[in-house]
Amino acid sequence: MEFSALFLAVTVVMVVAWWGARTLALALFAATLLASIATYLHHASDVLKLSF
Amino acid sequence: MTRSLALTLNALGVCAVALVLVVAFAAQLLLNELPCPLCLLQRIQFAMLAVGPILNLRFGPRPSHYAVSLFTAVAGAAFASRQVLLHIMPGDLGYGSALLGYHYYSWAFIGFAVAIIALAAMLLFDQQFRDDGKPQPAGAFARAAVWLVIALTALNVVSTLLECGFGACPDNPVVYEMLKGRP
Repeated sequence: MEFSALFLAVTVVMVVAWWGARTLALALFAATLLASIATYLHHASDVLKLSF
Repeated sequence: MTRSLALTLNALGVCAVALVLVVAFAAQLLLNELPCPLCLLQRIQFAMLAVGPILNLRFGPRPSHYAVSLFTAVAGAAFASRQVLLHIMPGDLGYGSALLGYHYYSWAFIGFAVAIIALAAMLLFDQQFRDDGKPQPAGAFARAAVWLVIALTALNVVSTLLECGFGACPDNPVVYEMLKGRP
């Protein structure tokens, strides 16, 4: 679910960058980048099923 | 480098991102290899790489627009390198199939590294940032490239929703959660 939301957020950022205000596009980009890093850190804290 | 050449290269950059998204879709649909959560995060970073060039095409080249893509490329390289390290032990077969000897996450790392070098190279040319006051509307090629990358990113919203459903995405997805149980 979080990945669909992130793809949707990126789509919105692209649409705003192409048709909307520059400042809004940059703000939305920053929020989306932080959200993707937060998602990565959330998954990075999972217990790893290592192969050894 | 003139402003016009920089804008053409930015349009080509958007096309390159679109190509990566098409190849990822091809692997998903033709080989039936569903992307894992880390693979999806890398795909998201590839899509986000297009935001900088889109801003350049709309508002003209600015260093801050290249910085947008640089931040994304660094994050993408970090995500890809984690997946490379997860499968680095001898005997580990890796996740998914290999393309020309490298798994997708290895190619993703190479792709993000190339993007970082290309963005740094673009920043070397100051002349593109001199605004001559003449508006330079995006041409048909640039507009088509932007439409294509937006459409491909929107398609990923649908495919990810079909794959993961409304819950957490499985670590090793093998079926589309939303299509489970359908003939």
